[in-house]
Formats: sequence, C-alpha cells, structure tokens
Amino acid sequence: MKKHQVFKTVSVLAASSFVLAACSSGGGSGGNESSDDTITVWTMTDGLDEFVQEYEDESGTTVEVQAIPWENAHDKIVTAVASGDGPDVLQVGTTWVAEFADAGTFQDLSDYTDEYDNLSSDNFYDTAVETTKYEDQTIGVPWYVDTRALFYRTDILEDAGYPDGPKTWDDMVDASEQLTARGDDQYAIDLLADDPQFPFVMAWEQGWDYDLDKGAENFDDPAFQEAIELHHTFYGEGYSQLGEGKEFFQAFADGSKPMFISGPWDIQTIEERAPEIEGDWDVTLMPEAETNDSMMGGAHWTVFNNSEKTEEALDFINWMSAPETQVKWYEDHSELPANLEAWEDPVLKDDDKISTFGEQLEHTKPLPLVPEYEQMGQELLSTLEQINRNDADIDKSLDEYQQEVSRILGE
Amino acid sequence: MTPYLFIGPALLLLVAFSFLPIIIALVISFTDMNIGGLANWSQISFVGISNFIRLFQDPVFLQSMWNTLLYVVIGVPLAIISSFVIALFLKLVTDRMSSTFRVIYYMPSITNIVAIAVVWGFLYNQQYGLFNYLLSMVDLQAVPWLEHPFVAKISLIIMAVWKSNGVSMLIFLAALQSIPRIYYEAADIDGANRWQKLWNITLPSMRFATFFVTVTTLIAWLQFFEEPFVMTDGGPLNGTNSIALFIYQEGFQSSEFGYGASASFVLFAIIIVATLVQFKFRKADQ
Repeated sequence: MKKHQVFKTVSVLAASSFVLAACSSGGGSGGNESSDDTITVWTMTDGLDEFVQEYEDESGTTVEVQAIPWENAHDKIVTAVASGDGPDVLQVGTTWVAEFADAGTFQDLSDYTDEYDNLSSDNFYDTAVETTKYEDQTIGVPWYVDTRALFYRTDILEDAGYPDGPKTWDDMVDASEQLTARGDDQYAIDLLADDPQFPFVMAWEQGWDYDLDKGAENFDDPAFQEAIELHHTFYGEGYSQLGEGKEFFQAFADGSKPMFISGPWDIQTIEERAPEIEGDWDVTLMPEAETNDSMMGGAHWTVFNNSEKTEEALDFINWMSAPETQVKWYEDHSELPANLEAWEDPVLKDDDKISTFGEQLEHTKPLPLVPEYEQMGQELLSTLEQINRNDADIDKSLDEYQQEVSRILGE
Repeated sequence: MTPYLFIGPALLLLVAFSFLPIIIALVISFTDMNIGGLANWSQISFVGISNFIRLFQDPVFLQSMWNTLLYVVIGVPLAIISSFVIALFLKLVTDRMSSTFRVIYYMPSITNIVAIAVVWGFLYNQQYGLFNYLLSMVDLQAVPWLEHPFVAKISLIIMAVWKSNGVSMLIFLAALQSIPRIYYEAADIDGANRWQKLWNITLPSMRFATFFVTVTTLIAWLQFFEEPFVMTDGGPLNGTNSIALFIYQEGFQSSEFGYGASASFVLFAIIIVATLVQFKFRKADQ
C-alpha cells in the first residue's frame, strides 16, 4: 500500500516536470535563439532557398528558409501561434491575413513602411495593400499577387461567334449554350467547384460588395442572389460538368471544355501539358456584368509577433520587394510581382497573356477581410453544392446560409 | 519498487502524451476556444455543454454520425470475413503460392493512402474509369461511384476493406498456423469432413484472434478518416463525411477547437461503449 503512495507521488512529480520541460524547451527549435546574423523565413514556395543567396552575399545575413507545402501551412502557422515559436519572416496568403492577424500573429509594420525604400504602399497595387491591413494595422508587405482571368480556346470560341472570348456574362451564357449544344460530353466551361473564392468573384461582378459593418446582412443583397442563380445556371443547363470527368488539360486540349477560369500559373501548365494547341488559346479579362472585378490573391511577407529581429527581417523584405528582385522572381517562378514598377519590365510587359493578367489586376477586389472568411467560404461552397447537386431551393438555401454566417460571425 | 522503475518511463509517456491531452481536450470541449483564444487565453470563455447541444443540432454532424454508423455496420463484418477467408485460402494453397499472395494482399497496407486515392480515383471515375468501362462491356449502366452520396459511401468501404485486409489476414494466418495438427488428425480418424473440421476445430481455436481483430477493426472503422479525407473530402453532399473527418474540419480547418474537441469526445464515448460491449460479449462467451 505504502509503495503505491510513493509511486504515485513520484510519477505525478515526474510527469509534471516532464511536461514543463517539454513546454519550456519549445523555443529552442525556432529561429529566435540562433545567432545574430541569421533570420528564419517560412515560405510556401519552393526554390526560395537558392533565390536568396544573392541577398546573403550582399548583406552578410544568413537566411534560413523553410519551405512548407500550402496544404500544411495553415496547421503549421496555427501551431506556431499556439506555441509562440515562429520564424522571423513568414509568408502568408492574402485570405489568411484577417484570421491570423486577429490572433496577434504578426507585428504591426505601420511605423516602418516609410523607412525602407521599397516598402511604401505607393509601390504596390492598391488592393494588394488593402489586404495587408487589419484593424488599422499594417501587418505585411505584398510579395506576389495573383488573380483569376478567363482562359479560352480561340478556335472554338470563334465558331461560337466570340473570337476574342465572351466579354459579358450574357455573352458567356450565349456562348455556353452553343458550346454545350455541340453534343454529348461537350461542355462550355470548367467552373471551380471547390474554390471558395470564385462565388464571391461572381457576386462582385453582379455589383455586390462585402461591407464589413453589415456582416451577415451582406448576403441578403439581390445582387448576391443573382450571382448564385447565374452560378446555378451553368450546372442546371449542363454548361459545366458536376462530377469529375476527363483529366482537365486533356479536356481543354480536345475542346470538350474550351473555357476555364484560373490564375497565371496555368499559362505554363497548358504550354507543358497541351503543347498541341499552341496558338489556339488565349487569356482574357473576366466577363463583365456590373463590373468585371476579379479577386486579389497572392501572398505577403509578415514579421512574426515575437521575433526580435524586426530590422533584419524588414531589410530582407525590402530586398524581396525591390522591382529587380520581383522581376527575377517572376522569371524564376512565374509568380506575378506585387510591385508596380516591376510591371514596366519588358519581360512582363511584352508578354500578351501576362499583361492581360496585369490588366485584370487593375480590376480586383480583396476578399472579405474578416477572420471568419475561411469558414464563410466553406459554408458557401456547401450551400452551392446543395443548390447545384441537390436542386435545393435558392431562396431558402441563401436564407440558411445567411443564418449560418450570422452564427459564424457571432452576431 | 523495481517493477515500477521499469514501467515508469512508459507510464510517464502515456500520462504525458495520452491521458493529459485527453483531459485538456475535455476541458477545451467546454469552451469556445478558437484561434484567437489560442494566442490569448483571456479570450477563451467557458460555455458549459452548449458545444454538445449544438453538435446534436448540427445536420452536418448528425449526417457524419449516420455515415460512420454505416461504415461500421457494413465495413467491419466485410473486412473481418474477407480477411478470414483470404487467410483460410492461403493456408490451403502451396507454400510458394501462399507467400506470393501474402505479399499481394499485404501490399495495400503498406502503400501510402494518397497514392491509393489517386489510383482508385481513376478507377472510380464515372466517365473514364476502369470499373465503368468493365461494366459497359457487359452492357451495364455507368455507376456514379463517387458522385452519389450513398454509392460514394459504398465505394469508400470497398476501397477501405481492400486496404485493411492485409493486417487482419496476417493475424488470422498466424492463429491458423498455431492450431495443433493433432486436432485435425483426430478429426480425420473420426471421419469428419471439411466443413465439420472448420466449424468444430478451426473456428473455436481462433476465437481469440477473431476477438482481437474485431475489436481493433471496429475501433479503426469508427475512426474512419483517411479515405474520405483524401478521396472525397466528405462530399458529395456530405455523404461520405465521418465523425473523425468532421473533427478535423471543425478543429483544424475552421480553427473551432472547442467545437471540434466536443465532437471528439462524442466519438471517444462511442468507441468506449462499443469496446465495452464487446468485452461483455466475450465474458459471456467464456
């Protein structure tokens, strides 16, 4: 009996000291305790490691790059927030800004942006800068931007009477009707069924806008409903395929899905995956209704809240934001510069397809800058799934969606 | 004192990495902890059992419970019977064939689930998949393998049974090998036929292995996660969502840790009850 008592005490003591030790040693693995001339950088893009060598040579700072795949990045940052053990510099996607800023992940850079040549907000696309703001704080500096535009097959759309691609959503519906009428297994467009951003883009184009003060009321707007109805038209009329069909680039190449909406990275993908249709496809601006606004996506550089190397971190970010660096990054990795001056470079300016994206970037909006955005987007996707797959009533589904958003926003 | 010294380290690890997290999760399940609360604990507030009340009003969660129940009711017997039958057949054939097929049946267990998902995704493709192609050869209609909420559940079960057979089969095979030959020799002398030998010798001798496989398989299927996660993400129309996937979605995708933790406790309770029931049966059996 006595032995038991002793054992219990010993084990409880040992267990608690074990746990405490585990907690306190957490800081060791991060960058905070490494030597003075080293900064740690977390990025979701491969290849940054080699890219920063030039900076390391120039500045004498060692940059320790850790590449995290996008799929794991969210979890990884959440863990870093919880443990307080993050890098000095952290890349963050535009749609995550509000969520993580709300949790106090980043340092406020408002006071610093004027001290560095390349960090002034005048250097970047306005909407990109807008997405770095959260409740009067500037939590980051735009690194690269991306947006969505319409990819289409010139030869096939020419037959439908739209050699330059549909300009408005009415054209779009008209063209889609003709394209679908070509026969079985022929579709007009591949819509992004699992992209939570796309429905918002459609809604902006119908004249809707997200007003931070209105919360869930925003989704009561008739323009929003119009967008959802339009979205449903594409599935209801069979212009878009609901399930997973043919491998996508094959379908684009053989013309059974002659249009899709995507980002600049797919230019290269089509060139590689479907070289046989070279010259038969192009990119154009998003179709217009009230507007032709697309989304402002991309990523920012931020400084983690408990980094003690704010100056060094900003110096690095300043280098990454220089127009020359941005052009070079584009050449290496096809990610579009956030810096406006970089767009004057012939590499970007003389490329037709890229300059279309450049033009589309002038017509962009930021996605709702609220911490609950991800959840709102996911809920919208399941609402759309109910409407498109299950033929749920649009009015009723949107009412339910509005209630759900209201709960998510804690109203 | 010495025995405690030896099991001490293992116990400490168990306490630190199993019991403690369970208790912490239980506490979290009564709060509204989200990502903001993670960084700043003062934002967390105690909400009582309202998370649990919300769970049982959440159609997505109820649907996940129902799906999980179906996975278990259809999947567990299928998985146990099929691996048992495979083990029996492997015992019957020659040694060389047996080792070849053991490799074949065990292979899915060591293959990465993502690789499996990609390949089966192609097989299940409604328009161009091999399965529908084979069906079209015998003039059968295309099956919407992953496009219909109920059929998708069955598709995932088929894939999971295929994947899980390897491990259970090995356990059954080991149990089969350990049945003393003299039993069968005695039965032969008595003139028993194959069925009688199976029914009266093999099955009773393998009772413990069967029990072990049943308990572990049942727990594994209650925690059904990887297959819907990589193949369907719970869709279409939430038809393949499981409780485990629901926990992941709420806890880690939406960062609603409190809500996710309470769902994990519902799952925890279900697993404990299911296991206890089986132990009760086993006791009654002996």
